[in-house]
Amino acid sequence: MDELELLKKDWNKSENQYKSFTDCDIYKMSHKKSSSIVKTLFYISVAEFVFWILINVLPYFSSETYKESLDKSYHNPLFVGITIFGFVVIFIFMYLLYNSYKAISTTDSAKKLMESILKTRKIIKYYVIYNLVVIFISVPLTFYFEFNQNIEFHDQVEAFNSKQMLFLYGFTVLLTGVFLLVFWLFYKLIYGILLKRLNRNYNELKKLEV
Amino acid sequence: MNKELEHSFVEQLQKHQNIVHKVCRLYTNNADAHNDLFQEITIQLWRAFPKFRGDAKFSTWMYRVGLNTAITLYRKSKRSINTQEFDTVEFKIKAEEYDDTEEQQLKLLYQAVHQLNDIEKALVFLYLEDKDYREISATLGITEVNARVKMNRVKKKLKTILNP
Repeated sequence: MDELELLKKDWNKSENQYKSFTDCDIYKMSHKKSSSIVKTLFYISVAEFVFWILINVLPYFSSETYKESLDKSYHNPLFVGITIFGFVVIFIFMYLLYNSYKAISTTDSAKKLMESILKTRKIIKYYVIYNLVVIFISVPLTFYFEFNQNIEFHDQVEAFNSKQMLFLYGFTVLLTGVFLLVFWLFYKLIYGILLKRLNRNYNELKKLEV
Repeated sequence: MNKELEHSFVEQLQKHQNIVHKVCRLYTNNADAHNDLFQEITIQLWRAFPKFRGDAKFSTWMYRVGLNTAITLYRKSKRSINTQEFDTVEFKIKAEEYDDTEEQQLKLLYQAVHQLNDIEKALVFLYLEDKDYREISATLGITEVNARVKMNRVKKKLKTILNP
């Protein structure tokens, strides 16, 4: 006899072996907190937004001199434009994320459900990449602005010989690179652990189509 | 209204709870994990319930949410480690049906099924629940042909596990 047929025979016979939960048990259970992967993903994405907004806002309140220099920068239309752009981007990401969360439905097919979750994760990923790119660009940009506006810094750099200049450039690039790499690995680790099983199962379903 | 909805949900789930238990049986190895997954499926069912329309059967709808939770949403809890294995504790055949070879064979079979991956387990589960390939393909989101192909591979894989 086919193995599965034997199993089927027993499977249907074993209906009574399970502990039967009462109405009250089920009522209580349905009101417990979910620990699903979607919920975790949601918390991570909220943390992500809070983190990056704090990174942008906190320095403003942390030091008086920085606050002053920033206030001065707001006279520059370019700086105002960049700031507004930053907020617009955050809102766009929030909107996209909200929509993709709404699209996650447990009554879809297994594959569709996995795709919706992966899509949500992708939006978070793009948000992180966006932030990392902004950091990457803002380092030389800050350097440039400081060079043009801060006379002391300007004179200091001017006095450098070419070897020192090269060192300064190299050091800045290296530091930014290491910083980005650490961040990237950190994200890889968080999402890697969280979505390992989902990715494996999704690939298993995908594999069939080839 | 909400109370009514809740009442109707609890009543139906109570009646059909064996479906959830069976999902848990395939996807977990011990009683704690079983109950943990049962709870998560219940939460997901309750959340999805307001959107449940009477046009589908409650039980059919449960298969989807239950499997989706087991395969995709559920994160294994910390509680699920270090407890006795199900197969040795809960799986007992009544005395009058006792048959050493069949009991042994079934035990090995359940162990073999537990070695399958999540998707293969889902196929086995739907097969054991007598679902046709149309429903299997719709539940998993693959074509009917692929569902058949995969099912045959699962059968072969089970054979290999049992007779290495």
